[in-house]
Amino acid sequence: MEYKTTLTTCPYCGCGCGFYLESIDGRLVGTIPSKTSPVNKGKLCIKGWNVHEFVQHPNRLTRPLVRKNGELQEVSWDEALDYTADKLRNIKEASGPDSIAFFASAKVSNEENYLLQKFARAGVGTNNIDHCARL
Amino acid sequence: MSENIKTKVAELLSSGQIKGFLGLRSNEGHIGPYLFTNEAELDSLVVGDWKNRGDSRYPLNKCLINIACKYPEDTFGVLVRGCDERGLKALYTWNQLNPNKVVAVGIACPQELADACECLKPYPDECVDDEKAKACEQKAVSSIDALAIADRFALWIREFTKCVKCYGCRDVCPMCFCKECSVGSDDLIHTGQLPPEMPIFHLTRAVHMIGRCIDCGLCNEACPADIPLRTLYKKVADIIDKEFQYRPGYTDAKSPLNVL
Amino acid sequence: MTNSIDELENTDCIFVIGSNTTSSHPIIATRIFRAKQKGAKIIVADPRKIQLGMLADVEVQQNLGTDVALLNGIMHVIMDRGWHKQEFIDAHTEGFDAVKEVLKNYPPDKVSEITGVSADDIVKIAEYYATSEASSIVYCMGITQHTTGVDNVKSLANLAMMTGQIGRENTGVNPLRGQNNVQGACDMGGLPGVYTGYQAVTVPEVQKKFEAAWGASLSNKVGLTIPEMMSGVMSGSVKALYILGENPMVSDPDTHHVEKALKAAELVIVQDIFRTPTAELAHVVLPGVSFAEKDGTFSNTERRVLKVRQAVAPMGDARHDWEIIQDISTRFGYAMHYDSPEAIMKEISSVTPSYGGITYARLEGDGLQWPCPNAEHSGTKFLHKGGAFTRGKGMFFPIEYKAPAEVVDEEYPLWLTTGRVFAHYHTGTMTRRAEALNCEIPEAILEVNPADAGKLGIRTGDWVYLTTRRGKIAVKAQLTDWIKESIVFMPFHFVEANANVLTNTALDPICKIPELKVCAVKLEKVQ
Repeated sequence: MEYKTTLTTCPYCGCGCGFYLESIDGRLVGTIPSKTSPVNKGKLCIKGWNVHEFVQHPNRLTRPLVRKNGELQEVSWDEALDYTADKLRNIKEASGPDSIAFFASAKVSNEENYLLQKFARAGVGTNNIDHCARL
Repeated sequence: MSENIKTKVAELLSSGQIKGFLGLRSNEGHIGPYLFTNEAELDSLVVGDWKNRGDSRYPLNKCLINIACKYPEDTFGVLVRGCDERGLKALYTWNQLNPNKVVAVGIACPQELADACECLKPYPDECVDDEKAKACEQKAVSSIDALAIADRFALWIREFTKCVKCYGCRDVCPMCFCKECSVGSDDLIHTGQLPPEMPIFHLTRAVHMIGRCIDCGLCNEACPADIPLRTLYKKVADIIDKEFQYRPGYTDAKSPLNVL
Repeated sequence: MTNSIDELENTDCIFVIGSNTTSSHPIIATRIFRAKQKGAKIIVADPRKIQLGMLADVEVQQNLGTDVALLNGIMHVIMDRGWHKQEFIDAHTEGFDAVKEVLKNYPPDKVSEITGVSADDIVKIAEYYATSEASSIVYCMGITQHTTGVDNVKSLANLAMMTGQIGRENTGVNPLRGQNNVQGACDMGGLPGVYTGYQAVTVPEVQKKFEAAWGASLSNKVGLTIPEMMSGVMSGSVKALYILGENPMVSDPDTHHVEKALKAAELVIVQDIFRTPTAELAHVVLPGVSFAEKDGTFSNTERRVLKVRQAVAPMGDARHDWEIIQDISTRFGYAMHYDSPEAIMKEISSVTPSYGGITYARLEGDGLQWPCPNAEHSGTKFLHKGGAFTRGKGMFFPIEYKAPAEVVDEEYPLWLTTGRVFAHYHTGTMTRRAEALNCEIPEAILEVNPADAGKLGIRTGDWVYLTTRRGKIAVKAQLTDWIKESIVFMPFHFVEANANVLTNTALDPICKIPELKVCAVKLEKVQ
């Protein structure tokens, strides 16, 4: 029996509302707005109140996929990561660093965005990195 | 105040009477609901005073229902104020919680909080405190009652115009447990519309609070539009009290509307 | 935002333009409601009728894409009546004379003809905004998603500077960021021209600093924006796309063009949590995790860095996104060895002056608002204090009104504008999988004015075709007078009635934002 309330930050609009995610034995069961969060102070919108619903949806991607014979097929992490790194390296060698471009993300964390642009710039050697700030 | 609670909860946990205690915890500069399962954690137990007394209250009964659904055989403790205790009593009558599996640890509200809530009974029947605040006058309701009908209607329409349809009034409500909810039904109220249909959306909810609302005020605090929902439901409760001599949670009796 | 969210409730006048705040940022609408309650004047300018308009002191529906004209008209009146703050202009800005010249061409009568806003309303807006003690502008994508997006924003800056409505508490210019961490993605250098904290890739000292920090030689050539990447793929100069948590097949203008580009690329890597329409076209799909399965930080619209905490374990074999990137980088040949998101934040604060004082330990409670340059700094509530602008003096830009890139004609006689609805978010990948949200709004609805609908025999609930120069879709219509005659509106969250099949890829020449808010469309009833 494990009942947890985890204070975290909303993944939807740019307000940054704080709420507690309620979970029982690893399953999310509810969302409770945080009274002490500076932005929302105990309030949420309809999207926030229902934010726990999509997280453990059965359609979630849970295995890496690589396209083989035209179809996306489940593979091991090792295969997916090697495939990706090898392909990127080959393309860089053949066509130069600026032939590779990156979409950073307005939905992932600061730390993840930092790492992706570091990989693009220091690893691959290109400034081709952008995200959907304009959309 | 929280020292008495800590002593009491420590006793309950160490004796094995409860599997966990659902209370409030101060952690990383925030106050939120938390299930305490061992005595060592009790240092961080608080009663929900942040910048003001009782400004960090949470729907603990609602959390308790979630836990009880999954673990119906286990007994849990829960922190209750007067309103929460009313909630428990009413939830027992609606068969949403089993009274044999709940141990309430009660605290009385300070007069300051009771006044802000205009609470009729700002303490539970059983509580760890000796001092109890006095029942308050219902000024918010009477000030609106004093308005002419047209002005009263205009006031509520003005308030409902701000509704952003978050359903927070329902989602935070410890007494809202229906699997199918009238205010979310497209047959009764057009979905997808902002503001929601006026005044039907809010009046439907108000009517459904009859025999339910235990006047905790969490709906009011959750409302992004600051609609004085608590006052609306207090008025509804007054009418039912007058007609049926019934206020949910003040007795162990079922709501006269249970039969409907 | 130059101000904090909380400041909005203490302002004396709020000018909301191009933001449907109650729908897209309801928790910010809370502050606008409270400001109104405290007696503030509320001005709402939006081509559509919106909920906030119902409590506004002035509500206007300007014609699509005429914001520059409207703002110039307001500034013309302010000049004319002497409501500008010459003292502020003299002390803190430059270039105002050129603006004054341009404003002469925008008398209210002429502006009224362009915008459809009455001259009286223009004067009222000018008066409320300029003469209130503390006025705040709130804007969103209705201002930016135009080929004149930069012009629109500069016009708002002109308005704020000429009236001294910036650089004090409760007064400023406040763009509302649409996505949870769009601020952070910008702050972290997810842009082609800058490293973290907006340090330009073209500045040699900056380049040297990052080369030393990262142990690699770096390019000083500004990279490609997303629309340029897509064209690059089509022209063959871009071979590989690594797409992290984005869904251009639904979010970007002209879906058919995006699809062609994704299919033409030699390698498309998609890292996401669902099999999105974009993932369907990938060569490799890497399952990352949702916000609820990770630790880290988001930076919100008021520059506040907030903690994200893991609530549940990753689903199946999905992995933390930072670990996936680290592993690919290492296997690619550039080794990374972080042991946690916190270790990454340590590096971020060491190379980013505005994040210099940000550590996980300091993010307890309210978090910190950047700029926060060092461990003693308590963060920054509002920007440009006392008229101190980032570049020194605030720069005025004279801006002339330009029509949208695509205008109506005989073949495409209606205007189409796109946007969001209150129960859904962006491409719907997350919200459309939440039952409550799907019950609230299950499908795309086209809003049509009854007059336009009447001409075509369209009734609420009828299926209609919408056609532009780029594509055609079918969607259900709803009649409403909240939309003006000759304009139709639809949201872009719904892939099966994908509004971006229709939208125009024409870009703002400076910031490359597409003109998603205006294009010409043909409406027909499905027989």
